[in-house]
Amino acid sequence: MMEQIITQASSYAAQIDNVIHLIAAIVGVWLAVAFYVFFSFIFKYTRKRHPKAAYITGETHEDGKWVHRAHFVVIACDVVILVFAAMAWHHVKQQLPPAEATIRIVGQQWAWKFTDPGLDNQLDTVDDINTIDELHVKVNTVYHFKLEAKDVLHSFSVPVFRLKQDAIPGRVITGWFKPTKTGEYDIQCAEMCGIGHGVMAAKIVVETPEAHAAWLEQHKSQNITQNIKTKNLKKLAINK
Amino acid sequence: MKLVFTLAFLLSTTTFAKSRGEELFNLCMSCHGQQGYGNHKVGAPAIAGLPKWYITKQLTIFASGGRGKHPDDDAGNRMRPMARTLTPEDIKDVADYVSILKPQTPEKTLHGDLEKGKALFVVCAACHGQNGDGNEVLHAPTLKISNDWYLVTQLKNFKNKIRGADAVTDAFGATMSPMAATLPDEEAMKNVITYVQSLKQ
Ligand code: HEC
Ligand code: HEC
Ligand SMILES: [Cu+2]
Repeated sequence: MMEQIITQASSYAAQIDNVIHLIAAIVGVWLAVAFYVFFSFIFKYTRKRHPKAAYITGETHEDGKWVHRAHFVVIACDVVILVFAAMAWHHVKQQLPPAEATIRIVGQQWAWKFTDPGLDNQLDTVDDINTIDELHVKVNTVYHFKLEAKDVLHSFSVPVFRLKQDAIPGRVITGWFKPTKTGEYDIQCAEMCGIGHGVMAAKIVVETPEAHAAWLEQHKSQNITQNIKTKNLKKLAINK
Repeated sequence: MKLVFTLAFLLSTTTFAKSRGEELFNLCMSCHGQQGYGNHKVGAPAIAGLPKWYITKQLTIFASGGRGKHPDDDAGNRMRPMARTLTPEDIKDVADYVSILKPQTPEKTLHGDLEKGKALFVVCAACHGQNGDGNEVLHAPTLKISNDWYLVTQLKNFKNKIRGADAVTDAFGATMSPMAATLPDEEAMKNVITYVQSLKQ
């Protein structure tokens, strides 16, 4: 269902969609029941058939069971939803599968800044590739991201991954994703961050290993000279 | 008689209605200030009275990503999305309006060496003019109405290839970039801008 509305392009997209489906199904059944009861009562208790209304306080056990029993069923449904939601939460947010690559993502007013580790697959080295509003990743690869905010709250949202993570100034938040489908998808800031929030969009390009290697090759040289000039190398020197 | 009324009516609506440019300027005010005199806190420079051709060109390259898209350009990255909300038509209208605003005499915040600055400015005068008034033919803007802190930032940006690095996406910026590279350090940048400021009197 969700898949038809918006494509699933990460390893955990289907699991999250299934929680949404589960909620829709359970709530949908109850919606149908409620509508059935309401409409049948409207039909059954017309003025012609039952001219005089009865007032029921619900104090006797016989009357009360219609409330209690329904309550237990609703709680049971809640528990089922909670269990599946907690499983999805644990899988997506609480655990970290081993990284095959680590990128840095910085949200700032009003741009997304991405740092690819480059050919050596190591962040904070001279061959890092910095891009603005465009993130290139390899398909079927587990990525860790280090998410930062430079000024105010932002939220990194990739709808096709079913991923959304707030970025908080002063914190480095680690998360992960594994793209499963090549293509170009939207990234949007999902936390009000000022006048340019609405246009704080970016693009994620999920590409085959060959296409990604070609992209790395193409951006390699120009970024090395740039990194040597600017702060990246200084950062390196401090780290060593 | 009828005609006179109609004419009077038309005249009154045209004089009282806000122009499109003025309405669009509401957006700019939040950073560039009510009168377009800039706001140092958000790094937004004075724009009131800049030439129309220059504003149009800057908004166009901001929108297309030729300026303000470098990862180290925080101020540019705040301006770029603003330009992206404008259509080419909007850009023309708002540039029209901003260019007729009364320019300010910006406050002096630099105290560089005037003599050294004067010597350095000889190079700049070739394009920006003896008086720093700019030269439309060479696409070089006036430097006299912009804030000094902003001009120094731009010189650093040009020198560090943050602005005007790519001749394809920012052709005129690319002619300025090597000029900034002739200034050896920040000291020299401050000196030359101090001199530019002195041209006002
Ligand atoms: C969110 C704040 C913000 C808003 C809103 C904004 N600007 Fe800017 N603008 C900036 C900043 C910051 C800079 C400086 C960029 C730099 O340092 O390169 C700038 C630079 C400019 C420049 C370049 C000036 C020069 O001398 O090269 C022009 C022109 C400009 N803005 C016009 C506008 C117009 C017109 C609007 C309204 C449609 C607008 N701005 C709205 C923040 C803003
Ligand atoms: C070859 C001609 C040329 C020379 C020489 C030159 N400039 Fe420029 N300058 C330009 C052009 C063209 C631009 C506009 C760039 C653009 O459109 O983005 C510019 C822009 C600038 C800006 C940015 C203005 C703004 O409002 O953002 C500053 C500051 C500047 N020049 C300072 C200098 C200084 C200082 C020198 C001398 C060291 C100098 N220029 C020499 C052509 C030149
Ligand atoms: Cu936002």
